Amino acid sequence: MEKDKALEELFQAQKPTFDDSADFMAALTKRLDAVEFIKQHQEATIHRYKMAMVAAFVVGIVSGGVTIAFLLSTPADVPLFTFDEQSEVLQWLSDNSRVIFATILALLMSLGIVSVINNVQEIVSKCKM
Amino acid sequence: MTREEFIAQVEREQEALRGFLLALCCGKKDDADDLAQDALVKAYLSSAGYQDMGRFRSWLFKIAHNTFLNHKASMRTMANIEDARTQFSSFSADSSFQHQDLYLALSTLPPKERSAITLFYLTGYSIKEIATITETSEDAVKKQLSRGRDKLREQLTIEN
Repeated sequence: MEKDKALEELFQAQKPTFDDSADFMAALTKRLDAVEFIKQHQEATIHRYKMAMVAAFVVGIVSGGVTIAFLLSTPADVPLFTFDEQSEVLQWLSDNSRVIFATILALLMSLGIVSVINNVQEIVSKCKM
Repeated sequence: MTREEFIAQVEREQEALRGFLLALCCGKKDDADDLAQDALVKAYLSSAGYQDMGRFRSWLFKIAHNTFLNHKASMRTMANIEDARTQFSSFSADSSFQHQDLYLALSTLPPKERSAITLFYLTGYSIKEIATITETSEDAVKKQLSRGRDKLREQLTIEN
């Protein structure tokens, strides 16, 4: 494609010159300083999140292991907890104590997983910004 | 690329970048400089992934072009020539009358045509390089250049 000579000359004749390059670079340096500050802050936040997730993971593994060990160490036909007072509701709770305990444990683990996923998504979205 | 290397490269290229954005912003220096700063910050943030192949300028122009298009999209309004005239009346004194004619004519072009024309005539990039910078095909660039050139000629004839 051929260049339009007249247009090219017009553009070249009107090439702008800038006498405030030093000010522009100073403003850019300031912005880059701010960017560095934010980046460092984000990295520190991500590091803290990672440490919190690792801690949560370790606590989960340990507490899960302890709970499973505890469940396995107790006789299967003996309820996990009993109540001194006798009522139908308490009796039902005692009879189904293992199921109730397992359900609560599963719910807590699900909540933990959802929380970890949310944190990971938050970190990823912050990194993309 | 370290921060020092980035700043050294930018010092060499900032005038060309600002000139390009000044033309895209139709002579509005403050807007052009704001966009240049935004583009340079974006470039700095992605400079870790930049591999120096002697194409720092076109890499910067690519980022600047995208920054300009995003800015235009966020503005959602295309200033017509009458708006441009009003804006030019309050321009700083460093814009010569001839500059104003060219900027007025450029302001009538859609952003993509304006980019192609500016890259072709002001910075001297080839069609292939423009296609890389603007992330379009060479045929699309040719069409943009052809349409833009015709509109510019028409506008500049009317102006004069």
